[in-house]
Amino acid sequence: MEFLSNLIVNIGVWIKGLLVGGGVAEHGAALVVKAIGAVVVGFFPLMVVVFLIWAYRKIAARMQGRLGPNSSGTWAGPYGILQTFADAIKMLTKEDIRPQGVDLIPYNLAPILVVFASVMVWAVIPFGPGRGLIGADLSIGIFYILAFSSAALIVFLMAGWSSNNKYATVGAFRAVAQLIGYEIPQLLAVLAVVMVTGSLSTQDIVGSQDVIFLVTLPVSAIIFFLASMAEINARPFELLEAESELVCGYFVEYSGMKFGMFYLAEFMNSVAVAAIFTTLFLGGWRGPWVDQAPILGTVWFLVKMGAVIFLWMLIQITLPRLRIDQMLAFNWKFLVPLALVNLCVVGLVNKGTTEGFPGGASAWTRGSILLGANLAMILATWGMLAVGERQARRRREAWQAAQAGELEVVV
Amino acid sequence: MTEVTPEPTNGLMAELQERFPGAAQPAPEPQEGLTIARDRLVEVATYLRDELGYAYLSNITSVDYPEGTNGLPPRFEVVYHLYQPTGGPLVLHVHADREDPAVPSLAPLFPSANFQEREAWDLMGIRFEGHPDLRRILLWEGFDGHPLRKDWHEPYYEEDHKPFSSRFPEGRPMPAEERTLLRRNLRYPPGWSPRDWRPMADTWGYTPHDEVAHQKNPTHPADRVVLNMGPHHPSTHGVLRLLVTLEGETIQKLEPMFGFLHRCHEKIGERNTWLANMPYTDRLDYVCSMSNNLGYAIAVEKLLDVEVPERAEYIRVIMAEFTRFLNHAVSIGFTGNDLGIYFTAMLYALEEREFILDLFEMTAGSRMMCNYMRFGGVAHDMTDEAVELARELAFERLPRFVDKLEAFLTDNELFRARTVDVGVLPPEQAIAYGCTGPLLRASGVPYDVRRAEPYSIYDQFDFDVVVGTNGDAYDRYLVRVGEMRQSLRILQQALNRLPGGPVMAGKKKATLKVPAGEAYGRIEAPKGEMGFYIISDGGPNPYRYHIRAPSFINLGVMGELCRGHLIADVVIILASIDITLGEVDR
Repeated sequence: MEFLSNLIVNIGVWIKGLLVGGGVAEHGAALVVKAIGAVVVGFFPLMVVVFLIWAYRKIAARMQGRLGPNSSGTWAGPYGILQTFADAIKMLTKEDIRPQGVDLIPYNLAPILVVFASVMVWAVIPFGPGRGLIGADLSIGIFYILAFSSAALIVFLMAGWSSNNKYATVGAFRAVAQLIGYEIPQLLAVLAVVMVTGSLSTQDIVGSQDVIFLVTLPVSAIIFFLASMAEINARPFELLEAESELVCGYFVEYSGMKFGMFYLAEFMNSVAVAAIFTTLFLGGWRGPWVDQAPILGTVWFLVKMGAVIFLWMLIQITLPRLRIDQMLAFNWKFLVPLALVNLCVVGLVNKGTTEGFPGGASAWTRGSILLGANLAMILATWGMLAVGERQARRRREAWQAAQAGELEVVV
Repeated sequence: MTEVTPEPTNGLMAELQERFPGAAQPAPEPQEGLTIARDRLVEVATYLRDELGYAYLSNITSVDYPEGTNGLPPRFEVVYHLYQPTGGPLVLHVHADREDPAVPSLAPLFPSANFQEREAWDLMGIRFEGHPDLRRILLWEGFDGHPLRKDWHEPYYEEDHKPFSSRFPEGRPMPAEERTLLRRNLRYPPGWSPRDWRPMADTWGYTPHDEVAHQKNPTHPADRVVLNMGPHHPSTHGVLRLLVTLEGETIQKLEPMFGFLHRCHEKIGERNTWLANMPYTDRLDYVCSMSNNLGYAIAVEKLLDVEVPERAEYIRVIMAEFTRFLNHAVSIGFTGNDLGIYFTAMLYALEEREFILDLFEMTAGSRMMCNYMRFGGVAHDMTDEAVELARELAFERLPRFVDKLEAFLTDNELFRARTVDVGVLPPEQAIAYGCTGPLLRASGVPYDVRRAEPYSIYDQFDFDVVVGTNGDAYDRYLVRVGEMRQSLRILQQALNRLPGGPVMAGKKKATLKVPAGEAYGRIEAPKGEMGFYIISDGGPNPYRYHIRAPSFINLGVMGELCRGHLIADVVIILASIDITLGEVDR
């Protein structure tokens, strides 16, 4: 029972013990365990994605009145769960077509880098309490995540530009406009969390969420979620690929497993965003009975992550996408100002609650004051939007009345 | 059939003859309308458009008379069908020289003539003088000759029409490849070589781009890119190619290119017997084969003068309205797809379509290619089981579906953001470009053939003509939803009043004698006005068989609608026009 309650850490300790017992030097054994851990962390998103693609197809099918992957034709495991493996094998065995006129180095490097960038994010995600279940508890963890997620932008530009294709180029241009734009509100939202926590380390952020930040900082959570949807190219902002417009966007010229890697990276990014959102706003691994059995922390983490992924799927399957100008306008005219206001308000409230109270306010007092400030912000935003909407409608009605007056002669 | 001819245009014809003495004469029997002198056509057309309100040039076609008829010498005839937006047709005939046919172009007056004159040039070889851009539209530039001319023969088929006896008199099938060896079955125009051929469309599109690239023309902004959307593109709804000149992502110029699905439907129609042509009409707009059947049957019945039994008329209306419903549902579903709703909207629509196709299968025996209408009735009676299903659909299931559709889409913030004020088509422009169907009505023009010139028994039903106000993609969606509701209204009335009796006039005959004459039958197909122009010389085949395909003519306004919009809007505008390439390319 003791072994099971902290399973993964204990496995590490056990392997290390075996190695040391077998005559390997202490630091050598630590290195081997670290390497195994790195491989496990690297493969975790891959394994999740293999399951996730199946789940996505199954859920999409259920929402659309279809069956989705199943074994009624060719056998693909119970409920078609092996369909993703079949697809992966298909992609691996496909011919790798290289179009004429591509710029070879960036063209071949892009699929590798895009997967690299998505895997590296996982190094600082805490899967459980303590130092055992995190790749590296960096003191700048959240900064590291943001740095690697913006590395994807360079990769998109490389892929789009080197493909020698107009659709790919347009997709890459859109990628630059969209990803740079949405990085700002995303970063500002994270900054609010960092201010409240007082640390950039992901483990510290999880540790300081006695009340989850989704409750105390809802505005930051919403901004972060929306900006992340744009960063991972999900449906309302799915403009980089835009299947019906740009065919496939920046990776239109890739085939075989190179295409597969972009596809994989997209799902891996969405899982990563779900994990980051869980860490930042849903309290990460924290939950009931984690102190007694640390392995439960990993379960809580996966459950919360699954909920965020389901929300992502729901949006992905049911919403249309915006146009490029609407998307940029939404960012620069709405999200960025709101994020800035949010940052100021959270900063002031935070300062006020830590220094304004003699001896500092309790976590609950501080949380409820933050929540109140956030709710006030939401109400103010709502009111401003409603006023704007009413004005726009009035203008439109006036214009239509003028049109109708002119049109009476027709027919 | 109850022939409803709109108020005859006799008074008008007299007025025209008076106004243009010598230039306008009544066409010789059995033709309808007027014969206009070639050199005064533009003058007459201007007068008709500006003074008499014939603003709507619906159909242009051409006929070849290599032998000469009615005591006239060998000639080509160009036939124009003009309408007032409320009134009946005016048919104009213009004669052209058999050796070097040339007719003044009406494209500067009526933009709707643009594509249709190009089609007449392509298939019949009539030059339209003054046309801004007269080049082939359906065939490629390496095609030799003009296939609709009577002296043009297809390779492999030496006869003018399909022989009734076996095509293989030797008793053994003979593949076409044996008769004509590969590479010998091609004939290029004189002086034309496939080696140094560059498609004309590409010259049009790429030359300015090349000039920019090579700094030949510094006045062009250098960030202009020519983009080919299609023929293989997820949202062109078939093999349509849109040649787009972009500045950034903004459309500077857009031209639709098509003909990839061309099979010279009209030539096939002229080789087939009258009845054998019915299944071919299914393939025009393959989403709504029932209404294609209906249009063709109505056109031929005008010549045949046959009384259609009442039950058959009701069944025809039921089938046509179900077709309209399914077309609009699928169209809205695919619009969702183009907006990026990961197939969800489309699959919701396709689910309802399956039920309607079940009904078609029960009645006609086929789901998509129905081949159901006959001259003087329909092929099979509707069984009680089919009527039961139709009642369940029209009264229960489909109204629920329309409500659901509206609940999901009509007030959807993102859907509105993408469609409101996109592709606004002013009513004057819609009429000038000859647009019909939901595209025209969304612009606020209450023009519906079911009302303007009722055919079949549409005058016995209560329904409203749905119109929009703004003429944008969102209004087109609203008009489609409204028409779905009106279709259900008609269906409910028709199913409640469905009489008994036979479904076919007379007994079934294998061969059909169609009296000589010309007829233009038109219906309100789901996509717009669908017209069949047929000429009979009393023989077993149509002498001339022309289709006014609504998708083809509605597509003419595409370039105008897209200018200044973004790439993302092009797919929305195309989806809101609602085309089927089977009909565009024919």
